[in-house]
Amino acid sequence: CSEWVDYSPKDDYRVTDQDYLKSSADYQSMAVSVYTPIQWLNQLVPVGDIASENAVAGGENASDVLDLQNIDDLTLTAQNGTLAELWKASYEGINRANYLYQYKDKNPAGEVIAFPEKEVMYGEVAFLRAYYYFTLVKVFGNVPLFMDRKLGIADSRTLKQAPKADVYAQIEKDLTNAIAVLPSTDPKNGKITKFAAQALLGKVYLYQNKFDLAASTLKSVIDGPYSLVSNFGDIFLQSGENGAEAVFEIQYSNLSPYYNWGGVTRGQGNLAVQQCGIRGLTGNSPYAAGWSTNLPTQDLANAYQAGDKRKDVTCLDIEAYKNANPGFGITYQVAPYKNTGLYNQKYLPRKGESSGQIELNYLNNQRIIRLSDVYLMYAEALNRKASPDDANAQLYLNRVRQRAFGDNAHNISATGNTLKEAIWAERRLELGMEGDRFFDLVRTGQAATKIKNFVVGKNEVFPIPQAEIEVSGLVQNAGY
Amino acid sequence: RTTNAQEILDQKVSINVSQQEVEKILEKIETEANIKFMYSPQLIMANRKVSLVVKKEKLSTVLEELLKPLKINYEVVGRKILLKRLSPKTALKMDVEDKLGILESNIVEQTIKGKITDAENNETIAGVSIAIKGTTQGTTTDANGNFSLVVPNEKAVLVITSVGYDPQEITVGNRFTINISLVPDTKNLNEVVVVGYGTQKVTNVSGAIATVKGADIEKLRPVRPEDALQGRASGVTVISNGSPGSKPTVLIRGIPSFSGTDPVVIIDGVPQTLNDFNSINSADIESMNVLKDAATTAIYGVKGGNGVIVVTTKSGGKNQKAEISYSSNYGVQQVMNTIGVLNATEYAAILNEGSLVSGGGLIFKDLSTVGVGTDWQKQVFKDAPLQSHNVSVKGGSEKVQYFLSGGYLGQDGIVGGGENSNFNRLNFTTNLTFQIAPKLKFLANTSYVNIKSVGVQENSFNSIIGSALNFDPTVSVLNTVPNTVGKYGFSNLLLSEIFNPLTKLDNNYNESNGNKLYGKLEFQYEVIKNLTLSSRFGYTNFNNTYKSFTPLVFYGPLNVENTMNADGSTVTGRHNSVYESKRTDNTYTFETFGTYNFKINNDHNFETVLGISLAKIAGDEINGSRQDVPFNSWTFADLTSATGINTATNTNAQTVGNGQYFRKNLSYFGRVNYDYKDKYLVSFSARRDGSYAFGIDNKFANFYAGSLGWVISNEDFFSVDFLNYLKIRGSYGSIGNENVNPQYVGIISGGPSYAGDANSNGYTFGNTFTTGSTVGSYANTTLRWEKQLQSNFGFDIRFGNNKWSLSADYFDKSVDGLLFTPSISLYLGAAAAPTANIGSTKSSGVDLNLGYNAEILKDLKLNTNVTFTTSKNLVTATNSDGTAIIPGGSYFNGQSQTATRFQQGFAPGYFYGFKTNGLFQNTAQIAEAPTQTGAVPGDIRFVDVNGDGQITDLDKTQIGNPFPDFTMGWNLGITYKSLDLNVFTYASVGNDIYRAYERNAIYSNKFRSVLGRWTGEGSTNDANNPRFSFVDANSNIRVSDRYIEDGTFVKIKNIQLGYTLPYSLVPKKVVNKIRIYAQVKNAFTFTKYSGYDPEIPGGVLDTGVDRGNYPQARTWSIGVDVRF
Repeated sequence: CSEWVDYSPKDDYRVTDQDYLKSSADYQSMAVSVYTPIQWLNQLVPVGDIASENAVAGGENASDVLDLQNIDDLTLTAQNGTLAELWKASYEGINRANYLYQYKDKNPAGEVIAFPEKEVMYGEVAFLRAYYYFTLVKVFGNVPLFMDRKLGIADSRTLKQAPKADVYAQIEKDLTNAIAVLPSTDPKNGKITKFAAQALLGKVYLYQNKFDLAASTLKSVIDGPYSLVSNFGDIFLQSGENGAEAVFEIQYSNLSPYYNWGGVTRGQGNLAVQQCGIRGLTGNSPYAAGWSTNLPTQDLANAYQAGDKRKDVTCLDIEAYKNANPGFGITYQVAPYKNTGLYNQKYLPRKGESSGQIELNYLNNQRIIRLSDVYLMYAEALNRKASPDDANAQLYLNRVRQRAFGDNAHNISATGNTLKEAIWAERRLELGMEGDRFFDLVRTGQAATKIKNFVVGKNEVFPIPQAEIEVSGLVQNAGY
Repeated sequence: RTTNAQEILDQKVSINVSQQEVEKILEKIETEANIKFMYSPQLIMANRKVSLVVKKEKLSTVLEELLKPLKINYEVVGRKILLKRLSPKTALKMDVEDKLGILESNIVEQTIKGKITDAENNETIAGVSIAIKGTTQGTTTDANGNFSLVVPNEKAVLVITSVGYDPQEITVGNRFTINISLVPDTKNLNEVVVVGYGTQKVTNVSGAIATVKGADIEKLRPVRPEDALQGRASGVTVISNGSPGSKPTVLIRGIPSFSGTDPVVIIDGVPQTLNDFNSINSADIESMNVLKDAATTAIYGVKGGNGVIVVTTKSGGKNQKAEISYSSNYGVQQVMNTIGVLNATEYAAILNEGSLVSGGGLIFKDLSTVGVGTDWQKQVFKDAPLQSHNVSVKGGSEKVQYFLSGGYLGQDGIVGGGENSNFNRLNFTTNLTFQIAPKLKFLANTSYVNIKSVGVQENSFNSIIGSALNFDPTVSVLNTVPNTVGKYGFSNLLLSEIFNPLTKLDNNYNESNGNKLYGKLEFQYEVIKNLTLSSRFGYTNFNNTYKSFTPLVFYGPLNVENTMNADGSTVTGRHNSVYESKRTDNTYTFETFGTYNFKINNDHNFETVLGISLAKIAGDEINGSRQDVPFNSWTFADLTSATGINTATNTNAQTVGNGQYFRKNLSYFGRVNYDYKDKYLVSFSARRDGSYAFGIDNKFANFYAGSLGWVISNEDFFSVDFLNYLKIRGSYGSIGNENVNPQYVGIISGGPSYAGDANSNGYTFGNTFTTGSTVGSYANTTLRWEKQLQSNFGFDIRFGNNKWSLSADYFDKSVDGLLFTPSISLYLGAAAAPTANIGSTKSSGVDLNLGYNAEILKDLKLNTNVTFTTSKNLVTATNSDGTAIIPGGSYFNGQSQTATRFQQGFAPGYFYGFKTNGLFQNTAQIAEAPTQTGAVPGDIRFVDVNGDGQITDLDKTQIGNPFPDFTMGWNLGITYKSLDLNVFTYASVGNDIYRAYERNAIYSNKFRSVLGRWTGEGSTNDANNPRFSFVDANSNIRVSDRYIEDGTFVKIKNIQLGYTLPYSLVPKKVVNKIRIYAQVKNAFTFTKYSGYDPEIPGGVLDTGVDRGNYPQARTWSIGVDVRF
């Protein structure tokens, strides 16, 4: 009677890999979940500003949000949960993508499952894998690279790091493949389009200082269907999501309220929104209370010229706002740690935009690539390519500035190196608190001069998670 | 004749009998005249039948009339009347006279009557031998424990002996009724102990077993039987808390694993779990045996690794008259102590200071108006009743024996009182035995239990206790602010997380209601003499319904967590909700085994058992919730009346969930016990276990154990007068632990994941949530049980005329293949690594039990017992490179912290954090010290453990151990005449406690130690008392030894003083015995620990982490035991 103790997962109503990928619906369902981990990367946005001179970690006290504090002060150790989560989320995405590639031609049962949308679907998967690898390479540098399959338990502790160049080559390859099959537009907001892939590829080229390739690739996006939103502040409203300027946004929603405090970044909501809210805020303003982390610095606020409409959209001076709007009856708690008096208005939590466990379910999409970013990247590529085209570079830089000031009076006519500096400065103002700054400073070699405590040859990348060093025997980045 | 005698003889009596035995007539007269006759039935031939009709005649006349024809003389002695036969020449009298050499004229023959009872449970004992010392005369008690015996004179000495009891000698004196209670002889040669699939003579046991008797359990009257094991069973560590009905931590011989340390519980042969101890009525328990070593547990194979608790419930005896017992107990529980927090003025002052130091303004402008405020602990703790009532009846005929019982136990909680936390249990048990045919017996044990309970949020900073400790003391109890809803006051400083504990209690609505049916059906067939086949079906069926209601609540006008506005309206987007679940657990075990006992050459004794067992454990739950309960009221809190409907933006209006599990086992087992002349003992057992949960490569596992014993005192050469008994014994064997779940490569589908790995699916496209799927787990086909090797060495001795006994054991066990989640490469992604058999632990320790039992003075009996338990535990491996670490003991004090670890090279669940070394007194000290970011004078100086010149996470180290170095129990029983006193003291030494109930928010209340804070250079160097500021850049609140306290304690757990009413006060013919008693539980605790209660249970990784643990209550109670 030894069959008494035989076990089949079906006894437990469990679906296993042997039961799956038997229909197009199965493939498509798995493709949806390749998207999922990009939501888990929401901390990349606060990290990108906190690590730079744009923002401080804040929080309740010095022991609160310790991982972000360490990033803020660059007192980084390899034991940083936020970084480990970025690492793990990226690799989860890569493994999910790889599983689909593993069974692209034949499913686990050896059958061919063909369906009309298959090529496009694999284009999305390719883009996503490229996005995960790009995240890894810009945050960590040399990382393990694998494409053919989802790793099994036996693969633990076997992989070594690939040089950055190899990782970038694979990213370019995936994006090129994606561009070839993706549609120009998708009726479902949030699906990856050809232009998103081109914009990302342009950025990837820029990060490698491949300016000619960047320029030509970004031009395709500029020629695409996008236009700048006239009122800068509207971009960051719920009504502005997936708007005219949105090339690539990571979608969040409050439609599937999440309450797992054991994995706060892993829901459909955007945790980074709750984080930057004003502590103990009450009253009738549109804003909701939050945790006073990721606070913009006075340095960032001071960088805006008078008349720049982006200043208030980027840095909300709560005391000024309170005084300007006595009708709101605002009370709030001064940020208890590293108070700057300023809050990240682009992602400030707003009433009614969350559901369920309020803290974890803000619907705010993360604006990853906006048209103005494409303009500034394009301008930079034109300015820095082998045969510079400063006239066109000025044109696209000034389109961004014209919107910011509402006039042409602030146009820039500089050329050459001055123009380059102006484009870089503009990126800070335009994209402030959107998670781009630190990586821009590293990419452009300005980090050491702009960021306190920045050590050249070390802080260009973050430390690889200690667990991965210990378990997998990877080589830690220099200086950590 | 004295006046007195004359008065007696002048009493008027009426008798009307025809052809009755003289004995019966005398009884009638006894009742009528309130006198006692003393006589020897044989001598007066009391069974002669006569008739007698008298109406209101003097007693003397009646006696003349009755006795004269019978040739009986009488004499009044006090209120007694001595009857003597006129003619002395009877055979019996002659015999006695000859033996004693006493002349006829001196003989005052007496008939002694009496009843023999068990001193521990007061049950009557049949078949007790009563002999007259120096003669061959004697008798035995009948089925009801009664005897009567003629003795020659008052100097005769009765020798009372019975198997299983200490012999007694009693001089008759001038008594005619002698009721004797016999003390059970725990060292009795023929006493048997219940082991796996059978019983064994105690003296022939060569393994390690601890026993707790029903009588000891009765003295404690515990809510759960584990409480009776604490300190009474050596080798067992029990850590309990005070939440009504809650399960304690029970460790038998150390901590083999980081999860699943619960021992197996066997109730009347049927496997159950420790959870099932919530439903057994401790009054029904006859005995509990704890099987500790491999020799005794290997027959339970893969389930024996954490030890086995064998519970035997009461049953009726053959030809036993129905005996009814009733017991009732009522008590009041109260909190033992409170924790020192600041009063309102102190709180206001410290907030002002903290604010000023960090550059802010005054928070309280005028301290003189603040007052002492509210003591929230006083508001939260209530005196709460605890009561139990039991009635049972047992007895039997030749063919049917029965034990029936019914019981009720009601415990209200001291946190918030009975309406907020309680535990109510109703038990009905019938244990029946039928002798169907001469060789066929059928046993049916059936218990029905109903448990109803209500609970409060526990063991966190925002629990009821956590709120009482941390809430703003300046707030008034009641809400006095006009135009705001809410009965109780609110804080304008604490705006989230911590609320008025009374508001929380006021909105605490939940109810659990469970019905359990469990028991067994068993056939025993005696194939030939000494060969018995048993087949039994054990089952448990548990159905539980649970409901909770989360109402809309207003916490204060500024509170950010309000779900209700100040005017009573609903905050936009918020809802109340009701949650209901229904759960069913079904367990059955089907076992068939044969036992064959035989002798070879009369000296070689064999006891064998061989059998097979099939088991299935299964359960499922379905639950649902719905928002919008009408009138925000518990009255309407039901899925039926709630009206919430899911919408695109609110998918939680109606939810449904479920869970299901099952587990199957197939086992073969056998054992041989052998002894040679009760001197040399050998035992060998084996089990082969199959589990559906093991990997496909390892479906079956084999377990073996053997033991040897030598009863040296049975050797001819042994002649140490002082030592009455000496046995040495040793055992070795393997046992297992089956805390494995089957593994498979699963596809997970849907949306957010609430599993530990939070491996979510799905994505939002165009404002529509789309589910997704992915590969979410791994399979390890080589998965197997945790394998444990245990050796045990021990001895049992008795000395000083058997009054002293000592048992001692040393054990050593190593667990390998410990189920552990390995550290896997992070680049594998988010899915949780599958558990694998990669860890190992070692434990060793000593169990001691010293007893003394004797009558030390006339009528003064003393029995006392001391147990001593140690275990040293070490994690010897987690995975090959030691990188796998399980952190635990998480708590929140402004950030999520973990305080414990399961890690290679350390004790399981040790406290892990920073070491402190006083306070920085000035900036020069900070400059000299290893780099410590954010430190200013008055901050804690942390120790640079790794010596790298900076204070980082790498400096965290071992800062304490929650498990005691040793525990001791001391049970003292004193009986003086009808008074009995029982005192039980328990001590735990060397256990550390991590204080984790301090929230440390800016506006949370502070603990009194803050009054001794650093206020300037030289003020204090105590790392427990750093400066106070709103800004804590140094992170003084990080996990450090600042929060570690020595939890060593000595608790007087139980004091019971009982009084058995003298026979004269007992209503005769109805009641046999009445005992009343007063009891105090948790009378005193001696400890340095500053919290409520140093007993902090939890899993291995949560034990000793005090997040505001529900403390045990001091209970004052009175009770009565009646036997009919």
